[in-house]
Amino acid sequence: MAAKPKIAVYWTGGCGGCDVSFLELGPALLDVLAQVEIAFWPALVDTKRSEVEAFPPRSIAATLVNGTLRTEENVEMVHLLREKSQLVVAFGACAYQGGVPGLANLSPRDQLLRRVARNGFRPAPPPGGETEDAPPELLPEAKALADEITVDYVVPGCPPMPPLIGLLFDALLSGDLPAPGHVFAHDKALCEECPRTREERRLTKVVRPHELIPDPEVCLLDQGMICLGPVTRGGCGAACPKAGMPCTGCVGPTPEAGDPGLAMISALGSLARAGEEGPGAFAAEDKLLDALVDPLGTFYKYSLPTYVRRKGGNG
Amino acid sequence: MAEAPFEPRVVAFLCRWCAGAGADLAGTSRLHYPPNAVAIRVNCSGRVEPEWVMEAFRSGADGVLIGGCHPGDCHYVSGNYKTRRRIYLLKKLLAEIGIEPERVRLEWVSATEGAKFARVMKEFVTELKQLGPLNLEREEEKPSAAPVLPQVGS
Ligand code: FES
Repeated sequence: MAAKPKIAVYWTGGCGGCDVSFLELGPALLDVLAQVEIAFWPALVDTKRSEVEAFPPRSIAATLVNGTLRTEENVEMVHLLREKSQLVVAFGACAYQGGVPGLANLSPRDQLLRRVARNGFRPAPPPGGETEDAPPELLPEAKALADEITVDYVVPGCPPMPPLIGLLFDALLSGDLPAPGHVFAHDKALCEECPRTREERRLTKVVRPHELIPDPEVCLLDQGMICLGPVTRGGCGAACPKAGMPCTGCVGPTPEAGDPGLAMISALGSLARAGEEGPGAFAAEDKLLDALVDPLGTFYKYSLPTYVRRKGGNG
Repeated sequence: MAEAPFEPRVVAFLCRWCAGAGADLAGTSRLHYPPNAVAIRVNCSGRVEPEWVMEAFRSGADGVLIGGCHPGDCHYVSGNYKTRRRIYLLKKLLAEIGIEPERVRLEWVSATEGAKFARVMKEFVTELKQLGPLNLEREEEKPSAAPVLPQVGS
């Protein structure tokens, strides 16, 4: 019997949701697990780093990394795993474009440490307490996986949805691999698979999700919710818009949109109306757009480290 | 050697029907204005994507000027209104990122307003000198610090 391909799943600065997302495959997960050998998966199996270091180069068929790169240890581990793996997959929004923890890049590192850790914070000593090891250093900025190592494929989403995870395993297990750089999601915008109907094609107000129970049939943008559907890849089945929540862009922008924030600004600038266009409407248009209180956090919720480099860096 | 004084680099997107013609008039009228801008002629200010503004910054611009027709005069009826809303949002985003929103300037300049174009350029360059260089992370090699000669359309 031919040896089963080895896979690894690793987490860096993530929330654990990506590891849990595999369970959403349901019984299909059992089929997948029957066909692979788990070489390393800290959420499931106790394998020490020293054991990974002893693996021969490229002995892991595919490593799925989730989480943003936040500490020096994250960086060391992904370099190690890159060396040991034939394929590396950025799994989830954090590994792909920096993710929600990437929003921390809006504050300099020192400020973050002061705010989060104050001055007395020390991690609990390990059982036995015999080691004086310091926690790994925080990087100056959160980074996407591709900022450090070559990434072969991407499974986007926060966390990745079962259909997208399924696409990855179909490809890995069949050996029918797409071209390097492939993102396992649609190239077309989410709107293409959203069942809601667009009528007005105008943005006449801006409301936040808690302020409105939306009509179940009508496009959320038409109802004033800032939905990122027009600039976001489909493939998730439009789960959020179907449930009355605007898309927040977790699958990442379409190739056509590129930078999601700039593409949304372009779209909203076209759509926004406060009565008949002209100088008489300028003040009302500004007021309408002011209701979008946090363009940065709204448009780059999952991708700040990829698209926004601040003046003078973040040191 | 003494360091050369800071000369801001400006990218000016000018619509061909009004602002571009106004800039041409400033030139043919021999008006004096600072030579810090590279002019890019577009059919309508409504064609200017926010992405282009950021591209200009990433490529080393310290300021971006967008010149369009006065309200009611846009050759395509409402391109300038669309741009006004986009630039309004873009400035909000820039403020959050930590880039001074004043580095983006939207002006209405008609084909007869050569003098206004010259005044806008003077004001903008003065303001950018006060703000100092942008120093956005560059995608390419840092271009030379020499001011670039204006060239309107082709
Ligand atoms: S043609 Fe000048 S702004 Fe539209």
